[in-house]
Amino acid sequence: MKFGKRLKQQIEQSLPDWRDKFLTYKELKKLVRLISSAPKADKEFMYCLNNEIEKFNAFFMEQEEDFIIRHKELQQRIQRVTDTRGPNGTKPSETEYKEEMAKIRKDIVNFHGEMVLLINYSNINYTGLAKILKKYDKRTGGVLRLPFIQKVLEQPFFTTDLISKLVKECETTIDSVFPASQEQGILPAERQAITVPGEGIFRNTVAALLTMQEIRRGSSTYSHFSLPPLNLPEPDIFQSLQLLSPIPIP
Amino acid sequence: MEARPALSILKSGARHLGNSGGSGTLPVNPTPFEEKYPKLRDSQQVSTERELMQHPPAALSPLSSNSGVVGHIFSSSSGFSSDLHFSSTPKQEKHLRQAPFISQSANSGTSIILPHSCDSGILQSTASSQFTKENNRSSWCPDSLPDFLDYSFSTSIDNSQLDSINSGDIGISSEDLIKRNDWQEWADQLITDNDPLTSDWNELLADANVEPKMQQLMSKQPVNFSSQQSQIPLQPPDTPGETNTAVAQSSSANVAPVKQRMRWTPELHEAFVEAVNKLGGSERATPKGVLKLMKAESLTIYHVKSHLQKYRTARYKPETTEESSEKKLPSVEELSSLDLKTGIEITEALRLQMEVQKRLHEQLEIQRNLQLRIEEQGRYLQMMFEKQCKSGADLLKGTSSTIENSITELTGAAQSSPGKDDSGLQAGISKTGGDQSNLSIASGENSKAIEEKFKALETQVFGNSEANIDGTSPSSKRAKVHE
Repeated sequence: MKFGKRLKQQIEQSLPDWRDKFLTYKELKKLVRLISSAPKADKEFMYCLNNEIEKFNAFFMEQEEDFIIRHKELQQRIQRVTDTRGPNGTKPSETEYKEEMAKIRKDIVNFHGEMVLLINYSNINYTGLAKILKKYDKRTGGVLRLPFIQKVLEQPFFTTDLISKLVKECETTIDSVFPASQEQGILPAERQAITVPGEGIFRNTVAALLTMQEIRRGSSTYSHFSLPPLNLPEPDIFQSLQLLSPIPIP
Repeated sequence: MEARPALSILKSGARHLGNSGGSGTLPVNPTPFEEKYPKLRDSQQVSTERELMQHPPAALSPLSSNSGVVGHIFSSSSGFSSDLHFSSTPKQEKHLRQAPFISQSANSGTSIILPHSCDSGILQSTASSQFTKENNRSSWCPDSLPDFLDYSFSTSIDNSQLDSINSGDIGISSEDLIKRNDWQEWADQLITDNDPLTSDWNELLADANVEPKMQQLMSKQPVNFSSQQSQIPLQPPDTPGETNTAVAQSSSANVAPVKQRMRWTPELHEAFVEAVNKLGGSERATPKGVLKLMKAESLTIYHVKSHLQKYRTARYKPETTEESSEKKLPSVEELSSLDLKTGIEITEALRLQMEVQKRLHEQLEIQRNLQLRIEEQGRYLQMMFEKQCKSGADLLKGTSSTIENSITELTGAAQSSPGKDDSGLQAGISKTGGDQSNLSIASGENSKAIEEKFKALETQVFGNSEANIDGTSPSSKRAKVHE
């Protein structure tokens, strides 16, 4: 039940378009419960599982494609803006340039965030799948879990290497686009509680981290297949980040 | 003639799948199958039928869907085709021969169910550009996954273990469970029947390196399956919506399913952009032109079309795409353009956001690696367990109580601990043969080693507090994060 709740929270705090692309954990759990009583539930369960994975793959690859396009576009955009500034000698407009750069910075940081959220999406769905399979095995005394998970590991939605690579490239680009950071340090300990408003990417990222932390807090069914508790350095940062309750969507 | 035995094997196999208890014998009963066979004749691909005659193993693939045991038949067929795909890397030519056959069959009427191999281009993927291999990850087959699972799972493990896997149930309902013993015997029979393919099959079954191909295979599974399934009484009650229609259209139209998914890569996108630029920009370029210029295997015009659309959107509305999720966020930039100071604040805010995002990404990577490792260990463990069962079964024929004891001991140890290097174990067991004392020594040593390894793993994964664990990757990752 704990994971189910966490998943629900995560979904609520994810980007609006993504909300129906997550794992339907609750339904699957219901099916698992029905398995012992109804013979058809088994098949339906398998069928649902497969559909879920299909859904993940489709969504993931769609997003991935978008990201690839946007990544390139961003790079070109940055190129254009920096080109107009430097080599020609003419500085068209300092303020214009600054504005452009500010926009670019914002866009690129958000782009980075979105990609990371996609990876998070992939991961949380995987976790859900692993859990539901564990429940299934427990119910049926079967050994579906292990081979099924092996399959899942190879699915497009879980092979996030490309996105990770894009994320890292983004980070490099960001470093070049941002002015050198002041020495005060980005996250001074004295900083007061930072409230994260709205429904934007930043908020979702924070939510994702917090959810991850919660999910990985030890459970009663700890086994050597379970993930250990999350080990966040400088935990105070995240404790200082509070989430405002989301604006209810009409 | 090969056709005959192939047909009889087909049927008897099918029948065996229907029974939960089956022996190795394959009774011959040609009649029902010949009823189905005319269907094949009637199907659009007559050449298919001819090829059927010539290629018995492939012949298993196109089976009628309208029988009680169909679920199993096409699952086995899917298994077979999976083999064909698996072996595509080492044996391209042979399977290229078969692949077109398969894709033809896939396109024919409802009586034939096959994994749609999209293009033979896929089979050439290994030799040719990266694109095809990486990009042909179409939809996950939403169908007889368990069957798939059974088959591909077995192929990833040694041939010798297939029998033991058979005995280890993969907890799927008995209806869906393929009896591996039968399967293996089929394969054997077919191998002996048709020499050219023998080496393929042997390699196939022994091929441990099937993961990448499995993925190709998995991804190539058309949505076909689920819709076909829905026509069969055995299958799950609800019929899929859109996928059904898409496939119904495609199968009747004898055209590649529209839902084929293409996985784009930056390199492919580069080629795309180049092609578009050559054609005068995103507005002027046509999908057909771009497709021609790109010359990428297994890229269809549908892929190009949708990609072009995305591209156009991204170019001409760069802000909308980036900000769509930010609609509700109070616009900080409105304030900033007034004040330089605020500008700095914004940058700082962005930096903070960046940090958090980086952190999340880091954690996700760590988590993912952990998950991979955990499953790897689990798989190792399972493999070992299977080996135990098998060698236990073999050795038990010698009926020695000592052996039995040491095996159960080993099995117990194997169960409680995650994977260990099984080479030593195997060596220990194979050496013995009849030598009981060796076995007990080997198992004793191995048990101890297993226990130690398990403890090491436990501390690796769980033991944050244990400072003396060094050089193990999760711990070192944590150390890095700590700094």
